[in-house]
Amino acid sequence: MNQWIAIGALGVMGVGIPIAMMVVSALLRPSVSEQGKTVVYESGEVPTGTAHVQFNIQYYMVALLFLVFDVETVLIFPWTLIYRSALEQGATLGQVLAPMLVFIGVLVVGLGWAWRNGAVEWIKSPRASRRKTERQS
Amino acid sequence: MDGVFLQSGTPTGTANATANATANASAGGPIATLPETISGVLGLSGTLGDVVGGLLGAFLIANIMLGMTALAGPWAKRKITAAFTDRIAVNRIGPFGLLIIVADAVRLLSKELIVPEGVDRPAWDLAPIILPFSALLGFAVIPLGSGLQLADPETGIVFAFAAASIASLSLVMAGYASNNKYSLLGALRSIAQNLAYEIPLVVTAASVIIFAGTFQTSEIVAAQTETLVSLGGVSIPSWYAFVNPFAFVLFVAANLAEIGRNPFDIPEAPTEIVAGYQTEYSSVYFVLFYLGEFIHIFLGGALIAVLFLGGPAGPVLPGFVWMIIKMWAFFLFTQWARSAVPRVRIDQLIEMGWKGMLVLSFANLVLTAILVGVIA
Repeated sequence: MNQWIAIGALGVMGVGIPIAMMVVSALLRPSVSEQGKTVVYESGEVPTGTAHVQFNIQYYMVALLFLVFDVETVLIFPWTLIYRSALEQGATLGQVLAPMLVFIGVLVVGLGWAWRNGAVEWIKSPRASRRKTERQS
Repeated sequence: MDGVFLQSGTPTGTANATANATANASAGGPIATLPETISGVLGLSGTLGDVVGGLLGAFLIANIMLGMTALAGPWAKRKITAAFTDRIAVNRIGPFGLLIIVADAVRLLSKELIVPEGVDRPAWDLAPIILPFSALLGFAVIPLGSGLQLADPETGIVFAFAAASIASLSLVMAGYASNNKYSLLGALRSIAQNLAYEIPLVVTAASVIIFAGTFQTSEIVAAQTETLVSLGGVSIPSWYAFVNPFAFVLFVAANLAEIGRNPFDIPEAPTEIVAGYQTEYSSVYFVLFYLGEFIHIFLGGALIAVLFLGGPAGPVLPGFVWMIIKMWAFFLFTQWARSAVPRVRIDQLIEMGWKGMLVLSFANLVLTAILVGVIA
């Protein structure tokens, strides 16, 4: 029995059911050709420009850190899998635990470094903080 | 801690477990999955049996989830929130207002689909399909009890996490393609949230894997049927929520953020950015987002149940009922949090995730490993 056939079948269902609902809705719903409603919603204001603009993503340093830690979790998972059975088969703690402690330790040191550098904080845009100080003075 | 030293796959037969849980745990070999049962009943074998059994089983599982969502979305959510805020909520149509489910389904599906100006068309249409797809796909490996498990691959729990994380792709697609500034902000917030909480979630799950020694969901459940302590003749099973309550609390908190519920419903944040990524969606597309979100809540509840609450195990009632009870308990918890806890800000969330949860989850992992190593 190939397990992945069943998983694929659920994937087919996961796409098929939404599409079926779309078809049902297309049969039921009206279509009123009136233009005013197609304006994007901006709390009742007339929108200025599109949303497809260059945007200051203020957490990009966090995103870079995330990559490191995501790869790390991939490496931790196999270790958690064999940890207990390795111990039960007579491996010593020095063989199975110490290397992983060193590995996690290195990453925690990295996290501490990023923490001190302020990389895991929401980056404040220089313009916004300048404006804030201008308003205060 | 004696009870947890259970090698994966060892048959167990504790007095406490229900007949069903015992049957699950002590089957010895691989447990019959739902497609195998169906193809066995139909008398089909080979690839044809796999495909037919898989499709029928998948249809059944998907419809169970749809039914639960239908009950939770238009009815239970309103009733629970109303109870918290001392109101009555839907009570006009049918007994306890239950027929509001039918009325709302027809109402929402028959709404006009408004396509705003300047939307990025293929992405805008695909996003509402991907969200329920990702949530449903995660259920493929969840043992729902009473033999209702679609597949039981060796990488089960990792697959469930992977499938559940596809959801943020949908949110980003929806947010960017909508050509709405609120939606864009919602999408960016959902990425930030995922960045902050994915790793604590997975690392906390890894600390459970240390106990269980397997990714296979049925084996994780089976490992939790062992007796932890006996209190006056009642044996407490070694559910990992009892074995490691700290990890349980961490996982529940991270899971709330993963599924984007209060106090971490930052991507939607109705009082700040209208509805975030789903601002521009109407009609069936909105229904699909709503559906996907609720299936996600139940998937989160199912993951908590499998990893920490013994999966479908429980006394007296059959396994499937217990699994449903556990998933609904988590749903009730999300709605409770919705009524009781204020929303955190996105920069606070990033700091909580990276300075709090991440450190705590690694501490939990290391301490668990050391404790298991020293005691074993």
